[in-house]
Amino acid sequence: MKELFPAKQVWGFVFSLILTFVALLVYFFNMSKATGMTIFILTAFIQAAVQLVVFMHARETDDSKSIFMTLYCAIFLALITVFGTILCMVWGWSY
Amino acid sequence: MEIDHSQPLEYSTEQNRLNILGFWIFLGAEIMLFATLFASYFTLVDRTGNGPTGAEIFEITPVLAETFLLLTSSFVIGLGIHAMRLGNKKAMLTFFVITLLLGLGFLGFEITEFITYYHEGATLQTSAFTSMLFTTLGTHGAHVTLGLFWGFFIILQVKKRGLTPETANKSFIFSLYWHFLDIVWIFIFTFIYMKGMT
Repeated sequence: MKELFPAKQVWGFVFSLILTFVALLVYFFNMSKATGMTIFILTAFIQAAVQLVVFMHARETDDSKSIFMTLYCAIFLALITVFGTILCMVWGWSY
Repeated sequence: MEIDHSQPLEYSTEQNRLNILGFWIFLGAEIMLFATLFASYFTLVDRTGNGPTGAEIFEITPVLAETFLLLTSSFVIGLGIHAMRLGNKKAMLTFFVITLLLGLGFLGFEITEFITYYHEGATLQTSAFTSMLFTTLGTHGAHVTLGLFWGFFIILQVKKRGLTPETANKSFIFSLYWHFLDIVWIFIFTFIYMKGMT
């Protein structure tokens, strides 16, 4: 039975739960907007990384390089799209 | 077909390796799909018109339940793949069934949540905010729904054909899809719900 629950994945799960809990702290305690946002960005991206490496085995194969190139490319484009849109549509730009 | 026994079953042939790499490239495109949805959501989040704001309709309990169910299901399917690598078909199928049940529970909560919003006067047509909210959540929910059917057929096939390079490969690719849906949910949980409620 024990062999069915590898320590690495169990810890990955526990760590994910802790990160979710940390994000929840922002909800339960009054924090400044900047502090809250920093915590959100950290917990979300760390948790995504845990999923990719621990659960999706992204580092284990010979294709690992290609997988990470694809991911970096997609994440780069995603961030440009999201922040570019916010810059144009919400934040604005003043000279 | 050449089978490399030094690799896990799902990687054991050239075709299998390429299938997995191809699926990662598909996930790259999925990241972009959700990026455009998030970009639109952040643009329209304050355009609530006469409708409710996020803070007014979001409730912490169902959101936490959904998060916990999906996070656990992602962990359990990871155990399923681990059992598959051990060659333990029975344990693998058990984990896969639990995964889908947790996914079904997630979907149940999400549908109840949508019905509650509807009764509170937040529909797809209420405001730019609610349109984008339902589109983003709905796209994720539709992915989960598709995943439930996909996973169900994977279980049937493994049950029928046993663990072969093909079925192991399909199961592994399905697990990648399922983990990806959890990643998307982490961002929905954080940047739509948590941000909306604080």
